[in-house]
Amino acid sequence: MNFSRDEKPVGSSPPRRADFGEYRDEDLIVMVQEGQKKAFDELVARYKGRLFSFILRMVKDPGLAEELTQETLIRVYIHAAKYREIAKFSTWVFTIATNLVRNKMRQRSRRPRMVSLNPAPDEDEMPVDPADLVADPSESIHREELADLINEATSRIPEKYRIPFLLREVEQLSYEEIQQVTGLKLGTVRSRINRARTRFRLLIKPMLKNESLLEELERIEARAAEEKNNDQ
Amino acid sequence: MRCNKATGYLSQGMDEQLPPDVTVELTRHLDGCESCQAYREDLLVARRLITATEPEISENFEWKLQLRLNQAMQQAVGESAYPWESDEADRWHWFRNFGAATAVGLAAVLALAMFIGPVGGPQAPGFVAPGNLAQNTPSLVRSASSGAVGSDRLPFRLDNPRGGLQRSVSTGANAVFTGGERFSLNRGWSGGNTSDLMTIQRLKAQNQQLNHRMRLLQQEVLRLRAKLDSSDSSALDLEQK
Repeated sequence: MNFSRDEKPVGSSPPRRADFGEYRDEDLIVMVQEGQKKAFDELVARYKGRLFSFILRMVKDPGLAEELTQETLIRVYIHAAKYREIAKFSTWVFTIATNLVRNKMRQRSRRPRMVSLNPAPDEDEMPVDPADLVADPSESIHREELADLINEATSRIPEKYRIPFLLREVEQLSYEEIQQVTGLKLGTVRSRINRARTRFRLLIKPMLKNESLLEELERIEARAAEEKNNDQ
Repeated sequence: MRCNKATGYLSQGMDEQLPPDVTVELTRHLDGCESCQAYREDLLVARRLITATEPEISENFEWKLQLRLNQAMQQAVGESAYPWESDEADRWHWFRNFGAATAVGLAAVLALAMFIGPVGGPQAPGFVAPGNLAQNTPSLVRSASSGAVGSDRLPFRLDNPRGGLQRSVSTGANAVFTGGERFSLNRGWSGGNTSDLMTIQRLKAQNQQLNHRMRLLQQEVLRLRAKLDSSDSSALDLEQK
């Protein structure tokens, strides 16, 4: 059940942390603007996992991903007054996160590195080498290993395709929201998501032949569904 | 529809981004194309894999976030999150205060120096010897003796007959005591510190004389009051009798 701002009781005591679950993100950020710290706690609970997941798949370093997730949420709190409900809250949050990730990756790329005498091929033209992702297709795979393989495959997608791809697949933002976050044209968003999917499919194709992988995938999905039912 | 076009549409079809007529055409193609069906299956499994392997965030994330948020808020309101930085700031704060105090002090010294005048050396054009102070400052004496206020109270006078800038302070206080003697406190600063010191000495001597005289008069008053008390009580006793 969603509450609009007009439906909030005037002059009543602020809701408890547990009661915030029924509010929309946009209502919660308005409460943060009004100084209700617990509304921000609820937003943190809702977004920390999503942000961490998105950022980790971008930067590949769990420590850095956690730091950037914290930085994103701190910016949300400090600049809460700047949020206006012309865009969805999730769009605003992921715009902040995307900018932070881009800046960090730019900083990384500026660091001096060993220079090869043979010029490296362009990122787009780099050959996909999925063979080393799964050494033995017959070996059973557990969740952690599977997660590592997927993260590795994701990190091999060029950055310009990876951002819209992850925003769509992980965060399930609409194409219009991705357009707002990235500042790209709608057609460019479509084509980049399509290219990223094609590349990702090529990367995980050998893994898909592993039957134990698919069995593990089904187990993970079943556990997740069970946990969701228990929470409800 | 060809396969390469169909695979391009499949991605958009998964996200329900295709117009209805293209969706119909794609569905028709998929019904008769096994490779495109397999491609579609792969895309769907890839999506499931990404969703299923979402990384888990550390348990103390919120605690660490709270710490960083506190630091960020302190910095946002202008406070320092680090004590050594505040010490540094305090040190400069003290220096700023000291600087302001020094500036005020210097201004006061300069004002005093202007007021007292040059130390030693040739006398300034407006210098007045203590002996003939009254003669050389007619306007000062006039204003002091008449108790006039207004323009005569200004510390700077330009009507000195010798043409120099004359600084004067007039108290204009006249005191009349019981003995009929008139004490006049006329002070004049002529621009030379020697004369001013002599004036101060003279005024101090006058003040001592007055104090001595006042003490004598107070003793006299006490003696007379005691005498009056004793005479009154005896008179009252007589009346009662």
